[in-house]
Amino acid sequence: MFGSKSRTVLAVLAIILVAVAFPIQRTSQAQGEVTGTLNVMGFSLPDEIATVRVDQFKAAYPDVTVNITEGALDEQQFLTAIASGNAPDVVYMGRDVLSSYAVRGAIVPLTECIDSMGIDMSQYREAAVAQVTVNGEVYGIPEFFNSIMLFINNKALADAGLTLDDVDVSDWDKVAEINQALTRIEDGTLTRIGFDPKLPEFLPLWAKANGVSLLSEDGRTAQLNDPRVLEALQFTVGLHEPAGGRQAFMAFRDTWDFFGAQNQMVSDQLGVFPMEQWYMNVLANVSPDADITFKAFTDREGNPLTYVTGNTWAIPRGSANPEAACAWMKTMTSVDTWVAAATTRAQMRAEAGTINTGVYTANRAADEVIFSEIVLPALTNETFKTGVEVILSVQDSAYAIPANPAAAEFKQAWQDAVNRVLNGEQTAEEALAQAQEEAQAALDEAWSQQ
Amino acid sequence: MTQQSAVVVRPFGRTTPLQRNEMLAGLAFISPWFIGFLVFTAGPMIASLGLAFTEYDVLNPPKFVGLQNFQRLLTDPRLGLSLGNSIFYTVLHVPLVMMVALGLALLLNRVGKAAGFFRTVFYLPSITPAVAVGALWLWILNPRIGLINRGLALLGIAGPGWTTDPNWIKPGIVLMSLWSVGSTVILYLAALRNVPPELYEAARIDGANGWQQFRHITIPMISGTVFFTLVVNTIASLQIFTEVYTMYFGNMNSGAAASAGLFYNIYLFRQAFEFLRMGYASAMAWLLFVIIMILTVIQLRTSNRWVYYEGA
Amino acid sequence: MAASTPETLADIRRQQAQRLRQAEIRRLLARIVFIALLIGCTIMFMAPFVWLISASLKVRAEVFNNELIPDPIAWENYINVWQAAPVLAWLKNSVIVGFLAAATVTLSCAAIAFGFSYFRFPGRDTLFGLVLATMMLPGAVTMVPVFLVWNGLGLVNTQVPLWAGNLFGSAFYIFMIRQFYLSLPRELFEAARVDGASYLQIWRHIALPLTRTALIVVFIFEFKASWTDLIKPLIYLYNTALFTLPRGLKAILDQFGQGGEMQWEIVLAASVIVTIPMIVIFFLGQRYFMEGIATSGLKG
Repeated sequence: MFGSKSRTVLAVLAIILVAVAFPIQRTSQAQGEVTGTLNVMGFSLPDEIATVRVDQFKAAYPDVTVNITEGALDEQQFLTAIASGNAPDVVYMGRDVLSSYAVRGAIVPLTECIDSMGIDMSQYREAAVAQVTVNGEVYGIPEFFNSIMLFINNKALADAGLTLDDVDVSDWDKVAEINQALTRIEDGTLTRIGFDPKLPEFLPLWAKANGVSLLSEDGRTAQLNDPRVLEALQFTVGLHEPAGGRQAFMAFRDTWDFFGAQNQMVSDQLGVFPMEQWYMNVLANVSPDADITFKAFTDREGNPLTYVTGNTWAIPRGSANPEAACAWMKTMTSVDTWVAAATTRAQMRAEAGTINTGVYTANRAADEVIFSEIVLPALTNETFKTGVEVILSVQDSAYAIPANPAAAEFKQAWQDAVNRVLNGEQTAEEALAQAQEEAQAALDEAWSQQ
Repeated sequence: MTQQSAVVVRPFGRTTPLQRNEMLAGLAFISPWFIGFLVFTAGPMIASLGLAFTEYDVLNPPKFVGLQNFQRLLTDPRLGLSLGNSIFYTVLHVPLVMMVALGLALLLNRVGKAAGFFRTVFYLPSITPAVAVGALWLWILNPRIGLINRGLALLGIAGPGWTTDPNWIKPGIVLMSLWSVGSTVILYLAALRNVPPELYEAARIDGANGWQQFRHITIPMISGTVFFTLVVNTIASLQIFTEVYTMYFGNMNSGAAASAGLFYNIYLFRQAFEFLRMGYASAMAWLLFVIIMILTVIQLRTSNRWVYYEGA
Repeated sequence: MAASTPETLADIRRQQAQRLRQAEIRRLLARIVFIALLIGCTIMFMAPFVWLISASLKVRAEVFNNELIPDPIAWENYINVWQAAPVLAWLKNSVIVGFLAAATVTLSCAAIAFGFSYFRFPGRDTLFGLVLATMMLPGAVTMVPVFLVWNGLGLVNTQVPLWAGNLFGSAFYIFMIRQFYLSLPRELFEAARVDGASYLQIWRHIALPLTRTALIVVFIFEFKASWTDLIKPLIYLYNTALFTLPRGLKAILDQFGQGGEMQWEIVLAASVIVTIPMIVIFFLGQRYFMEGIATSGLKG
């Protein structure tokens, strides 16, 4: 009995050694026809925008069996799958982390896929394509395109005797002024924040507005110690002062009914803040009658500016069906597919009698059709119509942190620095100097991986 | 470690057939563990020790880098920060949890009617999903409108910024952890139920009061379980991860906790899976392993003085 | 000392009566304090669940409004969860996996702990030290090698890795049951040995029944651990049909939380669906383990 058990042990140990030494690589099948199974990881089917497009793919490629492991991509899930040779055929991930995987060879360049499938890369927005381009090669096909604009509470402006023209983020002195004027403290208790700069998340936006990117264009040199970053950080941290400092500010902000009908815009708890466009959709649902105005965020020269985020499709190393994966990426992001999904959404919203603020894709050609033919003609609510128009007008002025293989660590470096300043643990100079050192070390190490 | 063994250990050659018989039977009983240990624990543990000397991003074969990861341990400021956070938490959490759990267990042990209902009540928080507990506690701990600070205000105390002040983040997490003492309560309750009632009767006849009975009967009789919870809670709290990750590092990201809530295993997790430094994470894991090992050995060594085994 | 008079006798009687009354009052006071404590703690501990249920029945716009009674009551949250996902299939998977995980770990740990507490053999304490040591290494770093073992056995994308590791015991429970065995008088076993019982019989007929409490606790703990585990189903399962509830909950969470826009009411309703079966199981289980003590013979 013991003998057979120890044999089992030996066998299993041998398997471990073999598995560790030779990760199983599945061979890719012959090129040409698109058939077989397509395993998709990192994607969910939350709404009609997702399901309609999947249905379009299934109609176009009836010979492919689509198997979606639902749920957002989890690093542990993805890494164990790749390491053990169980790679999915196509994966859906944030554009900010793509280059980390690209440099380490976890996903493959799409040059061949783009050529053979005839994917027209010029239809996608440049800022998004730049996020998925590493060392001159394209590694991903971009999906959504999230932008930022200013959300303004009209009642607060009226109370303070201000007009919309006073909300001008190109003039930072003015921003500090209206922040002071819009902040309301009653009986020693903060009841309205004047201007929320959204730290730490939006530091890259404020720095860019001040004329500098946190990272050089080639993604190799951190620029966190640039005096313009310092100025942006000191300015935005200073915006917390009238509220009574960071702690009072945060404690109050945490009490907002952010996703509810009593949200801070309706309840007059906030004057102005920059925010991602999806929040417009939230407001359109929970408080369609809110007295608010949307306005573009601008740099200090008055040019519109937005900080872009979004997801992308990519093909992992070891994908067993790269042809189907390529067909999938092309279909999911094509003009026809996006338009079909947007049409379905428009119909559903019309039936339910709710406001449709549209869907914002990284495909410029698709967006043109969606907004000029589907969304804007049907949009009667003036407030949200302005919002949609503002988003459309800023999309070409998008800024993203350049692609780099240490994205997560780079982000930790600058976000922790902002937090240390906000928490009063360090001065802005000290925090940024430390962040610069950490970020540069991480970048150097990550680039040396390839 | 335990008392029985010292009596018996003898060189193999001079064992009697009876002792050899006992040894083989004992080995047979532990053999499932031993096999599992080799395949699922020893193998992976040795693998992780090996990885500690490499640069390994999980995606490509590991590269040997010698002691580089261990050198990094010495110079990484976040390592000291996160280790300090975890130790601070453990020192606060373990004694408090043991006291609160024992108090609740004593309370439950006296409940006559609807005992099942009350036991379920105290176990409830431990079976509530971490996401819901995290969301709820951000609400309860909110410095402005949270239940705790509103309660303190009634007593005329201005409550601290549990979720916004870096100095109060960890005490806030400890408060939250006290909520989930259910498992420890159940263990104590089971142990209390195992104390033979006639011991108390005898003590009462001898005129012992409630405190004396507790001190001289209850405590020694459940000391085995108390010791178990001490060791296990220490190990677990040094490895705290899920709740804090959900509360401050997931969807509900909060800047105030970026340093104060960076616990050892959260930092280890980020190194391993977000920064793709599995080699460094393995070195971190082994450092924690050694620290826990030393603490546990100390606890085991001192246990002879206060843990009472009937079978010994 | 004063001579005893009828007065003093009456005094003594009065004093005695007073003392009795005082004792009664003290008992009453103790009882009141006890009940107050119990009720206070109950309210504190119930609060999260009441909050959870209440919030899960609110419409989207009111989830965090701090009202106790939802108005209107949004039953549709539960219907949405039910329609969005094969909850019943996930429930079934969770029950099967949880039962297998709990049953295997209870049996194997009971045997292993017996080996570590009753028997005397060289190297035993060193080996037990190893058992404890396995608790001390953070799981994150052994995860990849363990995954490769299951992958080598061809069992990835099956539910086997979710419970089969338990066949080999688990340090936490081995340690726990061992503490219980150690509190049993050794003479109990020796007597049976003298009567000619085999080791297996001793374990089966003496050790197991006497530690039934501990075994039920182990079963409940492991069932709960398996029931709430997300990491294993996340990395081992790719087919939606094989998901357990927490893994399904994550799919729902990601599904309804796209683009940073979290639909909390759905997430919370799903949380309630995950929690309720566990409460029922615990409620039933704890009744048995408390009864188990009464009949285990430990009393006499």
